[in-house]
Amino acid sequence: MGTLVPFPVQPAAQAATPAPVLRVGGLRKTYERREVLCGVDWEVPAGRVIGLLGRNGAGKTTLLRCLLGLVPIDAGAIELFGATMAEPGGERLHRVGFVPQNFELFPWMKVSSYLDFTAAFYARWNHALAGRLLQEWELDPKQKIGRLSQGQRQKLAIMRAIAPEPDLLVLDEPVASLDPQARRAFMAELLALMGGPGKTVIFSTHITADLERADADIALLRDGRIQFTRPLAELKARLCHAVLNRPAGWSTPPALAGAIKSRIAGTSLHLLLEDVPPERLHQLAKDEDASLRIEMPTLEDLFVELA
Amino acid sequence: MRAIVQLWLLPCRQMPLLGVLAHLLWLAALACLAWIRPHADGAALGAGLVAMGSWFWHMGLGAALRGACQPENFLLPGFRRRLAGLGLADAAVWVGVPAALALALGVPHAMLGASLLLLAAAMGFAMGVERWISLLFWPLLVLAGWMPGLVGAIVHDALGSPLTLPLLLLTAVLLLRLALHPMLQITDRPPDASPLEGLSLGRSTAADTATRRSALGRRFEGWFDAIAQRALALALMRYREEPSAARRRALVRRLLLPHDNAAALVLRIAIMAVFAALYVVVAMHRQHFNATVVGAYAVLMALARFPQIGRGMQRMRPNLADLYLTLAPTTRTQYQQMLASALLVLVPIGTLTALAYTALGIVLTRADQPGLMLLVTLIVATGGGLVALGVHLVGPQGTVGRQLVNAAVLAGTMATYWGGAWLVDALGYLFGGGLLALITLGFGLGVWFASQREYLQREPCFDAPLA
Repeated sequence: MGTLVPFPVQPAAQAATPAPVLRVGGLRKTYERREVLCGVDWEVPAGRVIGLLGRNGAGKTTLLRCLLGLVPIDAGAIELFGATMAEPGGERLHRVGFVPQNFELFPWMKVSSYLDFTAAFYARWNHALAGRLLQEWELDPKQKIGRLSQGQRQKLAIMRAIAPEPDLLVLDEPVASLDPQARRAFMAELLALMGGPGKTVIFSTHITADLERADADIALLRDGRIQFTRPLAELKARLCHAVLNRPAGWSTPPALAGAIKSRIAGTSLHLLLEDVPPERLHQLAKDEDASLRIEMPTLEDLFVELA
Repeated sequence: MRAIVQLWLLPCRQMPLLGVLAHLLWLAALACLAWIRPHADGAALGAGLVAMGSWFWHMGLGAALRGACQPENFLLPGFRRRLAGLGLADAAVWVGVPAALALALGVPHAMLGASLLLLAAAMGFAMGVERWISLLFWPLLVLAGWMPGLVGAIVHDALGSPLTLPLLLLTAVLLLRLALHPMLQITDRPPDASPLEGLSLGRSTAADTATRRSALGRRFEGWFDAIAQRALALALMRYREEPSAARRRALVRRLLLPHDNAAALVLRIAIMAVFAALYVVVAMHRQHFNATVVGAYAVLMALARFPQIGRGMQRMRPNLADLYLTLAPTTRTQYQQMLASALLVLVPIGTLTALAYTALGIVLTRADQPGLMLLVTLIVATGGGLVALGVHLVGPQGTVGRQLVNAAVLAGTMATYWGGAWLVDALGYLFGGGLLALITLGFGLGVWFASQREYLQREPCFDAPLA
């Protein structure tokens, strides 16, 4: 049995927060009468790495594609770099790098032809970076894209996205097909490249360790809405997982201010708590005649509990 | 058994009309055999019907099973055994039942007829799996055309020879071996071509299924590929030198239509010339060629390119997301305009192709009115190309709708060609040609501009098609 109360809304961003690179208001998207996004409101400040989390089918891919104008929206407004996305807006798209979930590039082209073709349209293209990555990631420029493995295509898509040194990088599960070495190399490259001032990354992934490594802000998409966007460090500092155990078991979880989610499993009561002092928990354990264990949740634990 | 039924249903699902017609022919053949007296006459008619039905059915079955024989499907439990089961059941239906009925009714040469039915089935199946196998029958056609007396004598002697039956069975087994060997082999899948391209000479088909190419086909593909890579490199160089809108459009064309450049066009026409010359040799026994038919066929072949645009643009949607971000258009309309303009090059290419094929036909058939044929081809292929491109760009998304539209376009173009040839012949080059150009090009341009307007109003779509 489990109950989930609404996640507390955080106070408005502080005055020092930089202007958002992306602003979404009331975004709705329906596929054949199934509402995937039900009024998404979201602001992404410049210069941050945002990890977009959500369960399968939560609408992460749809949201990311809507942001770039790759999917028509039913309602709402999207602002990218301060201007509405009603139209693509020309060179603005060149400030965005996008790695899609499925790498539908051009299988009949050779790797080098594809990169040359793409580079020809960009005013800013880091040829040195592209050349270095080709070598380091062991991609044969003479190979046809259709002959590349899924992981190699993913590397090529990543290379294509970061070579123009975009101000906003949108990555839709970019490391799903990469081996651990390639994933680490990619993350290192990403953090080095996007560490510059004003560079923003929106990163949808299920590999939470990568988000922890990037010290990302976490945005949770659930029930067609962004439930919260908060720095990972803050989440970890303020949330904790308490397990209360007693032989008689639990019929209902006790009322406790700050409890976000409660779950009864056998004789144990699992509580996800925010800003609850340990003294209060010890008092509760004493009152309920239960033993108490307090754990620091990992991001994966938080995802399992909250998503 | 259920697996065998599912395999049998494959061609019926992919080609329902073929499934219905073939089995109706089978029923009709059995009815002829049972009810027409004397039975020998009924058997002759029935054998013709069942052979025709069997040939068509097994071509469809071969094509469907070729698609089903993917490496992943070989992992299904007992897949090969079930394929063999389907083969046995199919042989029982198309050969066993008619042969048993003929034997029961005391029809003469029943076993010979059964082996011919087996040969027809094997021939159809082999052609469905490997298209090049149809080339094996060309020498027979040449022989039949050049020496009909000799062929008649061979058939007469074969009827009385005890070796005919085993030879027919051996030929059927050989054909099945030729078809089954590559079908059941797990090979590397070639990289996908551009969905807007088909490398067959008529370029009407192909890109929907993973094609298996013969050594010759692979060589042609290699040539086209090398030409495409060079054309792209050249377009890139020119664009870097001077990034104008026209050169930008040319670059996009090289990406979307890698095999629609001057060198590839020349190569395609050269290959076609070789095959057309071969065909003329094969069909030499026909004393008279109708040159207008050859011209109409040339236009038809040039127009066969356009249905690929509708199919290809649909299949290419996910790939185009990358192009959209690369082009970074100011408005969505601008992006749609870029695609429409890039594809418009197919109209002059289609016209040039039709003219080249017509010229080839004129030479091979020694046509009486080459000027008339070239003029009519020029006008009709251009008008037809504009209409075909327009309707396939904005036309129905479903296969049936698209086929209907294509049939209507082809029928209309053919009617225009014949009407145009008559008009120019009757009124002369100036008045007849002028009138034909006015009507045909006026209609073609009208359809193209209307379709283009509709296409520009549409939102770009980057979602993969459902099927």
